[in-house]
Amino acid sequence: MALSVSEPSSGRSSQGRAGARSASLNGWLFTAPALALIGIFLVYPILRSLVLSFYAGKGMMLKPAGFSNIVRLWNDPIFLKALVNTTTFFVVQVPIMIVLALLLAGMLNSDRLRFAGFFRTAIFLPCVASLVAYSVLFKGMFAVDGVVNSTLMAIGLVDQPIGWLTDPFWAKVLVILAITWRWTGYNMIFYLAALQNIDKSIYEAARIDGVPAWARFLHLTVPMLKPVILFTTIISTIGTIQLFDEVYNLTEGRGGPADSTITLSLYIYNLTFRYMPSFGYAATVSYVIVVMVAVLSFLQFYAARDKA
Amino acid sequence: MADVRLQAVRKTFGVLDVIKGVDLDIRAGEFVVFVGPSGCGKSTLLRMIAGLEDISEGTLTIGGQTMNDVDPSQRGIAMVFQSYALYPHMTVRENMGFALRFAGMDKQEIARRVQSAARILELEPLLERKPKALSGGQRQRVAIGRAIVRNPKVFLFDEPLSNLDAELRVHMRVEIARLHKELKTTVIYVTHDQVEAMTLADKIVVLRAGQVEQVGAPLDLYDDPANLFVAGFIGAPRINVFTGQVTARLPGAAEVRLDGFAERRLVIPLTGEAPAEGTEIRLGIRPEHLTEGGAESLPIEIDMFEHLGGETFAYGRSRSGETIIVSTRNGRHLKAGQVLAAGFDASKALLFDAAGLRIR
Repeated sequence: MALSVSEPSSGRSSQGRAGARSASLNGWLFTAPALALIGIFLVYPILRSLVLSFYAGKGMMLKPAGFSNIVRLWNDPIFLKALVNTTTFFVVQVPIMIVLALLLAGMLNSDRLRFAGFFRTAIFLPCVASLVAYSVLFKGMFAVDGVVNSTLMAIGLVDQPIGWLTDPFWAKVLVILAITWRWTGYNMIFYLAALQNIDKSIYEAARIDGVPAWARFLHLTVPMLKPVILFTTIISTIGTIQLFDEVYNLTEGRGGPADSTITLSLYIYNLTFRYMPSFGYAATVSYVIVVMVAVLSFLQFYAARDKA
Repeated sequence: MADVRLQAVRKTFGVLDVIKGVDLDIRAGEFVVFVGPSGCGKSTLLRMIAGLEDISEGTLTIGGQTMNDVDPSQRGIAMVFQSYALYPHMTVRENMGFALRFAGMDKQEIARRVQSAARILELEPLLERKPKALSGGQRQRVAIGRAIVRNPKVFLFDEPLSNLDAELRVHMRVEIARLHKELKTTVIYVTHDQVEAMTLADKIVVLRAGQVEQVGAPLDLYDDPANLFVAGFIGAPRINVFTGQVTARLPGAAEVRLDGFAERRLVIPLTGEAPAEGTEIRLGIRPEHLTEGGAESLPIEIDMFEHLGGETFAYGRSRSGETIIVSTRNGRHLKAGQVLAAGFDASKALLFDAAGLRIR
C-alpha cells in the first residue's frame, strides 16, 4: 500500500491549496463567535468612545467639537482634583502595599512560623470579601463614634475623635487603608508562590557565608522576585488608577468631603450618570486613564529591565 | 585547616532518630567522605556540622572549639550544595564576592580574593556572566569558588557532582582532588556514589540508618570490611554472597560447604578462631576475584554478559539461586548457557556470620 505523502504533482498541490483554504475557513468559523463578541463588546466601545471624546454637548445633543474637551480638562477644577487624588492614592498606596505584601510573604514563608496556613488565609481573605459588606463595615468602624476612634482614644493616641469621613485628609487616609487592607493579601499570594519556588539552599548558602537576614531579604529575595514584583506593581497601579468601588461605597458616590476623595473613575461615572450626562467629555477623561496606565506601565517595565 | 570531632552526636525529629550517636575524628587537612544509601543520614550529619540543623545531643568541635550553638557563619566552614545554590541575578564575580561584603572586608581585598579563586578554578573568562549562561560544571566551579574566597577551615560538600553528567563528573572529581591537594583544607564530602568515595577520600565513613558502620581508608574498607553491608556497598560490581555452613574447624581456617554445592568443601583461612561446626555463614567473593579455573572453583551457569571492551561482566546464578557476577579481562569467548568453572583464591574470600558480621 502506498503511503499518502504529498508529491509535487500539480493535481495534488491544487487539492492541497483547496484543503488549506477550507481548513483556514474552518478556523475562522470556530473563532468567529468569540471574535464577534470581542468586537461588539470591546473593540467597538473602545473606538466609539474615542470618537465620542471629540464630541461635546449634554445628553444626546452631541456635536463634533474637535479638541475642545481636551482644552476643557485643563480648566476643570474637579477633573484636576480627581487627577491629583488618583495620583496621590497611586503614589502613596501602591508602594506601601507592595512592601507590606513582600514582608508578609517573607514572614509566612519562614519555616519557624507556626499556623502559617491560618495567617495566609486570614491575610488573603479580604480580597474575596464582598465589597459592599466591607464598605459598610469600614464606615461603621471609622464613624466618629466608631470602634477605631474609641480605641485610639482609649489608648490615648488622640484626644478627640478623628473625622475619618468628614476631614479631607483623613478621608484620603481611610480610602488608602481600605484598599491596602483589601488588596495586600492578594499581592502577597503572588510573592508567596514565587518564594516557594526559590531553592532553599540559596538562603542556606547565604546564611553559612554570613549574610545577615536583612541583606538576604534585600539582596536575594527582592531581586529574585523582581518579575513578580513588576507584575504586581503594574496590576496594582492599574487598579489604583481605576479606583472606583471603595470610594463610591465609602462616600455614597460623592467622593467627599469636598471632592477630597474623588477619583478619575468616580468622576467619569458622575459625568455620565449623576450630573447632566456629558458623554463626550466623560470619554475624554476615560482616555486620560488609558494614557496614564500606558505611560506608567511603560515606565515600570523600563525601570525593571534587565540591565545585563 | 582545622580538625573536626563529633562525640556521641544525635539528631532526633520528634520521635524519629535520624542520627543515632556518631563518634568521629577528622584530622586537619583530611579528605573525609560520608557515604551510604539514601536516607542513611549522611546529608543530615553534614548539615549538623554546618549548623543548618540543630544537634539534639552530643558535642561537635571544630579546631578544638565547641560549635553546637555557634552560628553557621562563625564556624569557619564553607559549603557547596548539590543544587549549586548560586544567586541567579548576580554575575559570577558578584556571586563569589557577595558574602565578603558583610564580613567588613574592603573592596580591594574582595576583588583580590575573587580574582585568585577565579584563577585557581579557571573561571576568569566567565566572571561577568550570570549563572544561567553557564554549564553545569562551570556553575559547580563557581559554587566552589564562592566557598574558597571565604578561606574556610573546613569545606563541606553535599553531593556536589550528582547533577552533572557522567563525563563531567569524572572531570570535576579530578578537579576537586587537585584542589584539595593545593589548598590542603579539611574536606567533608557527602556522596552516595562509592566510586567518588573510593577515588577522593583519605578516609571513608560508611553510614547506614544513622549509624557509622565502618571508618577507614578506601582500600582498607575494600579489603577488610567489618560487615556484609560495607562489603556490599564498597566495590563495583557488588560483592557476590553465597550462603552456607561451617562443616569443620581446622587450625587457622574453617571448612565450609556452600548451599547448592554440597559436594564441595572450601577451606577459608582465618586469623582468629573458626566458628563451631554447623554455624550458618555467608561467604563474600568479589567479582574480580572469580576467575576461570583456579585453586577452588564453583560451577556457575552464565545467562547474560556485559562486555565493556577491556572487561566483561558475566551474570549467572549459583545453584542455590543467588545472582553471581564474574568480572574477567578475557571473557569475550563466553556464551550464554555455558557453565563457567569460577575459581577463586580462598585467602581473598570474606567470611561473615548469619547476621552479616565479619569472621576474620
